[in-house]
Amino acid sequence: MKSKKQKTKQETPPIEDLRKITLLERKKHHPEVHEVHKKYNISRRTLFYVKEYGKNANVSKTIIKESIKILLLASVISSFGGLALEQIRTLFLSITPLLILLPSLNDMLGDYGTVISSRFSTMLHEGQIKGKWQKNKDLKKLFFQIIVLTIIAAVLSSSIAIGITYFSPEGISLQTAAKVFLIVLIDMLVLTNVLFFVAIFAGIYIYRKREDPNNFLIPITTSVADFSNMIILTLLIIILF
Amino acid sequence: MGLFDKNFREIFSAQLFSIVGGIIVGVVLAVYMDKIFLIPGMLIIIPGFLEMHISGTFASRISAGLFLRVINPKRLHTKLIRGNAKSSFLLSITISLVLGLLAFLFNFFILKVLTPKIILIPLLAGILSNLILIPLTLSTTVYLFKKGHDPNNIMGPFITTAGDMISIISLLAVILLII
Repeated sequence: MKSKKQKTKQETPPIEDLRKITLLERKKHHPEVHEVHKKYNISRRTLFYVKEYGKNANVSKTIIKESIKILLLASVISSFGGLALEQIRTLFLSITPLLILLPSLNDMLGDYGTVISSRFSTMLHEGQIKGKWQKNKDLKKLFFQIIVLTIIAAVLSSSIAIGITYFSPEGISLQTAAKVFLIVLIDMLVLTNVLFFVAIFAGIYIYRKREDPNNFLIPITTSVADFSNMIILTLLIIILF
Repeated sequence: MGLFDKNFREIFSAQLFSIVGGIIVGVVLAVYMDKIFLIPGMLIIIPGFLEMHISGTFASRISAGLFLRVINPKRLHTKLIRGNAKSSFLLSITISLVLGLLAFLFNFFILKVLTPKIILIPLLAGILSNLILIPLTLSTTVYLFKKGHDPNNIMGPFITTAGDMISIISLLAVILLII
């Protein structure tokens, strides 16, 4: 009974200790956080949140300060990709199915970047990537899953876009439809491979530097996806049309 | 190797959502092509404008706060939520302005045309879309949490698709208003 009472006492939220954490400097790692985590079994994530957005923190300033650089970088990168498409503006706008597909391609490739990055980061944290990554079974499985999904998504999305254009007043020739299908398939397959290798090499490098790959890989892979998608699309349009 | 497992099905479902949402946005682009692409440089703005995903990180922060019990789903007028909403709004406006400036500079230096309207278009569209997106994201995240769902699993694809649609409609509305 006594021990149960003691246990209950230990689980009570330590207001005084939490208050101390809100007063810590946001950027500094402080042993107090570790002590509170150990003593009261409060998750590190909760304590991080308390420290980051505590009573004395300026919430909007903290968020803006942490996000602005990466968001600016991502928007500049995607603008450079758009620059490439702008060079073949008239030709690109004349291929209606590709215009219809542009937002989905960006979304899908961004999603693949996120999935690959977060799954590979988890593998690194769980210690699954030891020795040669090429021989890792889970990584191989993820690779083949993404490739199969890419092929399905390419076939499905290009068929819908070609179908919509076919039933529109302008219509579409069989030759153009085949070229659009080929462009989407090549673009997506090339990019998923690129994303995989970027995630693996950057992930291993970041992990070896004792940083959390989660914080870097998603912005890196999504920016690579946005930029490369438009460059590859531009190149394929120039080659095939 | 069991390729078609739960993970495969989950990614595939999210992809279907992205494809459908993206195609709808693409159809709007194609139908209003003569209006949206009237000003040169719009191809520089559109990919970045659609890919901002500031509402996605807003939803993810709110979800984390709800799970960690630092946010009470019954009390939404708190300093933490106001700060989150304010920062998301300011970030969106800043990025929209930067995109407009980049397109303006491209038009000026490469195409040798002066298009000040291209700065105003993403800025106003960013304000308009976020006036809708931020309350929508907050209410949907809290609603899903209250109903016992994990908003992290649903909000990603939902907000990407809804964000794309609202952004493109806002962009179109501003273009129709300005030009």
